[in-house]
Amino acid sequence: MRLACVYVPQLALQAALRRCPEVHGTPAALLASQGKNKPRVTELDAEARRAGVRPGMTAAQAAATAPALRLFTATAADAEAGAAALADVGYAFAPRVEREGERIFFAAEDLKRLYPAGEPAIAQALQAHAARLGFGARVALAATKGAARVASRAHELAVVPDDRAGARAFLAPLPVHLFTDDDDLRAAFRRWGTRTAGAIAALPVDAVALRLGPAGAAVARLARGDDDEPFHPQLPPDALEEAVELDYPIYEIEPLAFVLRGLVDRALARLSGRSLACAGLTLRLALDPRGLDVREVPLAAPTREAKTLVDLIRLDLARRPPEAAVVGAHLIALPARVRATQLDILRPAGPAPDRLATTLARLAALVGPENVGAPAVVDSWREEAIAMKPYAPGGPWSAPIPSETRLCLRHRRPPEEVEVLMGRAGPTALRGLETTARVLVAAGPYRLSGEWWQEVAAGGSWAREYWDVHASDGAVYRLHRDARDGRFYLDGYYD
Amino acid sequence: MSSRAQGLVLDPELTARLVSSERLAETRGRRSSGIGPLDGLLGGGWPRAALSEIFGRRSTGRTAIVRAALAAAIAAGEATALVDTGGTLDARAAAASGLALSALLWIRCAPAQALKATDLVVAAGGFGLAVLDLCDAQLRAPDAAWVRLRHAARAQGTTVLVATGTRRLGSFAAAAVELDGGRPSFFGPPPLFAGLGTRATRARGAHDRESQLPCVSLAFTSRS
Repeated sequence: MRLACVYVPQLALQAALRRCPEVHGTPAALLASQGKNKPRVTELDAEARRAGVRPGMTAAQAAATAPALRLFTATAADAEAGAAALADVGYAFAPRVEREGERIFFAAEDLKRLYPAGEPAIAQALQAHAARLGFGARVALAATKGAARVASRAHELAVVPDDRAGARAFLAPLPVHLFTDDDDLRAAFRRWGTRTAGAIAALPVDAVALRLGPAGAAVARLARGDDDEPFHPQLPPDALEEAVELDYPIYEIEPLAFVLRGLVDRALARLSGRSLACAGLTLRLALDPRGLDVREVPLAAPTREAKTLVDLIRLDLARRPPEAAVVGAHLIALPARVRATQLDILRPAGPAPDRLATTLARLAALVGPENVGAPAVVDSWREEAIAMKPYAPGGPWSAPIPSETRLCLRHRRPPEEVEVLMGRAGPTALRGLETTARVLVAAGPYRLSGEWWQEVAAGGSWAREYWDVHASDGAVYRLHRDARDGRFYLDGYYD
Repeated sequence: MSSRAQGLVLDPELTARLVSSERLAETRGRRSSGIGPLDGLLGGGWPRAALSEIFGRRSTGRTAIVRAALAAAIAAGEATALVDTGGTLDARAAAASGLALSALLWIRCAPAQALKATDLVVAAGGFGLAVLDLCDAQLRAPDAAWVRLRHAARAQGTTVLVATGTRRLGSFAAAAVELDGGRPSFFGPPPLFAGLGTRATRARGAHDRESQLPCVSLAFTSRS
């Protein structure tokens, strides 16, 4: 089996730099607190090191050393997002990935079919994909985890030979400190004069184990090309998460939308690497000083367009602004496969799903979500009853054209109370807010009642007498008289 | 149509089935209104990718004509939308007459939101027909709004049909139909509402020179 190792040195700093791609190329360092002590530099990039910044400096010392230095504070949100994004580098190439801090491991055997140029091409492709997700990564391919781990620390791109002898020869010139992080072990090997893997491999493993314990024996075996470290890859999580902690509270929607745009871009880049799209969003906003604002942003169709997602988020924020300033954001994206839909050559294409999703959201923001959708008939004898259900194009498009043109009733919802003068044959005049007219012809009454099993207070148990009246203003109105209280209501007019 | 073209003699039966390119372009540029006589009045139907207007008093059949246009568009497999100021849609009658409600995007809104909602629908693209129902709405819209809507309809290929009480669009509409002379009919005694007859007249456009504009009589039956 061939394993690929993608190693991102100083993952915490690189995770912070993912949020600020414009900082790349300038000195940058990460500050971390240890207990009650002042935050000190723990990680720094090559530009900061060249400028004279060193680990252990305080922020003031580092800033004085390199005035152009950009300082980041280590946050849990950055660390989690960075680790998850690193795993996505592997998930773009393999279904299961093992995560180990700043490294990931996954099986690369099947990738040879995609990269006929060989494993060097695979390593380059992995490094390029990591760069697209914002990481400067080192990649190694080997037959064992241990060899891949060491090779990734030694070289930017490395391919360790598959056979044991070749792996031993590859590892021989490498210094001991790449094989272990234990300072005591390193010191012990230095005292023995064994500074390279080749020198350690020449020692008997039993003797090393006797003097340095299991850890030393493991180093000795690895130096010989033997490694029995198990490989435990995992499936990807169901949802993809990106998070950010803000340096200062944000009150306005537009600056918040700008920050969320970054989250969306990074999430979509990770999804795109796995050939997936976003099917839904959950946004958790941390409020100042405390509290959480959780909101769902449903999508009509999976999308890969950042603009669509940001527009939907912006509309949701405008419709229901956060109750307090926002100090952090956590985005959870639901992945979904984008399936190509074969259109019917005989039918029009219809609106694009992602644009339709944005349009429906904009309409909902304009008129209210309860006023946008597809109409539906309610199982009730009430004339004015109607329901709204979600609009989903692609339903039963083909329907026969009605053979005759029927009149429609333009409903007043709710029915408007009107004054009606009753004669022996029925209504003789009516007066409402917009209509005052004599009744020329009155057809009715048509008696309807229903929902007798429901409480009157709940809007049930109704009984009505309907009339169709031709009024002197030329219109044909539909009236009803409520049998409970005798009042007349205007249901609408025929048109 | 001539059966001779540069010496080519065509079978008469074949000739009868041929359609000239001019006629084809004209019919392609029109969508059926769902009502035969009205299609004849409009020269094939409502103009595609353009604004059209239908106006008249209450109980002259405006809503029935709008519903017929929606039904025809849905039957043709096109996405349709109805911007309904006041939420007046008669879903029961529409469903009973065969209109596939689930294929209709229904937007209930106030008059002040109607134009904006229509703009959003047309800008989305992909909608074959968008209806703006302003029959009972008191709306003052600047000319620029209609110009913008007309441009959007042309760009997206969407037919926008505006139903109003009085003529509003003027020359911005590629076609306008006026409904008047609504004559309800009752049979009985006791009287039962049977339906409505109306006269549809093609409204005068900028290039119309006829002294008398064409009109047709339409009849609508009661919904029961």
